Amino acid sequence: MKLNGWFCLKLTLTACDVLFMHNNTLNTLAYEACPQCDLLLKSAAVAVGIKAHCPRCGCQLYRPRHYSVERTFALSLTGLILFIPVNLLPLVGILVLGNAQEASLWSGVSTLYAEGLWGVAILVFLSSMAFPFLKISLSLLVSGHLYFDKPNRYLKVWLRTLQHLDEWAMLEVYTLGIIVACVKLASRTELKFGLGLAAFIALLLVIVMLTSSLDEHLFWQRIAALNKQ
Amino acid sequence: MSFSNKKSALKQGLIRCHHCGCIVQLPVNALHSKHLEPCPRCDGQLHIRLPNSFQRTAALLCSAFILYIPANVFPIMIVTKFGVPEHHTIISGIISLINSGMVPIATLVFIASVLVPLIKMLGLAILLWAVRHRWQRNMRVLTLVYRIIAFVGRWSMLDIFMISILVSIVSSEALEQVLAGPAATAFAGVVVLTMLATNSFDPRLLWDRLRVQ
Ligand SMILES: [Zn+2]
Ligand SMILES: [Zn+2]
Repeated sequence: MKLNGWFCLKLTLTACDVLFMHNNTLNTLAYEACPQCDLLLKSAAVAVGIKAHCPRCGCQLYRPRHYSVERTFALSLTGLILFIPVNLLPLVGILVLGNAQEASLWSGVSTLYAEGLWGVAILVFLSSMAFPFLKISLSLLVSGHLYFDKPNRYLKVWLRTLQHLDEWAMLEVYTLGIIVACVKLASRTELKFGLGLAAFIALLLVIVMLTSSLDEHLFWQRIAALNKQ
Repeated sequence: MSFSNKKSALKQGLIRCHHCGCIVQLPVNALHSKHLEPCPRCDGQLHIRLPNSFQRTAALLCSAFILYIPANVFPIMIVTKFGVPEHHTIISGIISLINSGMVPIATLVFIASVLVPLIKMLGLAILLWAVRHRWQRNMRVLTLVYRIIAFVGRWSMLDIFMISILVSIVSSEALEQVLAGPAATAFAGVVVLTMLATNSFDPRLLWDRLRVQ
């Protein structure tokens, strides 16, 4: 174990060879495999605040979090509430000849669609509205069921879907897009920031914290334990 | 390295579920069968390696390369000022940002919409080449390249999002109007195709070809 950076300890798991028990069965829980180099590793109980790494390729295997289920539940609930003002209120606006012109998440999509660029419009709609919404609601569903210890036969499907659409929800990138657009506009006209932008920034923070608080390793273990009951 | 005596999970008859990460024992004689049982923990489909990883990645990468040409040749944004249209390609948009003194923003846009797609496509091409020709060295570096490509991929959507904000905000037809050009579709295609290519590439293929001493 060695100190990595300022605040996080780095633990390298040990490579091992598989060991069959006397009746030729195998305790698969005793092993891990690196997702990126397929080295067989010995499972280790990793404490909060420590990152587990693969010794061969250096890939981060898991990083346990404090109160992962509780935090994910609270954050996704907050995110879902914030989603309403973010989608209803305008984000930024400019004043043209005395009347304001404003942009919201939806107005960008609809203008692109009206211009005939439906491919881009659909992509922007999915990555800035549909997938973030799905991501938050699926996190809420999964963490809610785990928080209240309620088994549900769709839990596995929800968590798998959540893992696969995670990278297609791009609110962080959208924020950068807003910043660049604002800088471009600010040189010509006066900008007007709406309440929607404040809500958007809050939602962005919530989503970033949500992504880091969701510990998939723990969630899968909890789901497996729930289904055994 | 000292890991050469350690074997991969697959060589010892174990596969890792790529959904939930649990270890499953590979049934006897299942190495070449197409259909495996679903994962016992998450019910997801198990795969020994991502299916047709090399072919899929290569096909998606080629399509992205082809789309990259119209994405840079055609205008991505058409700014009409007092009835005079002005066509901006990705590069000329960056140059006009530099000319108006917004160098930090120009750097940001340059990284996101020129450097990142290029790095992604070149990196994936190198990775495919390494798999094809069974490179034996620098595996750790190549895996790091894969991780960088996977992390950086989504950030090239920056230009698309910026345009979607600009077109909806600057639309007063009398004074100034911003329209998205045909390159926007091509560029969005490049971003999506390279992300799909990264997702279908299996970095374990690099390590599978390592000859164990
Ligand atoms: Zn590894
Ligand atoms: Zn699984």
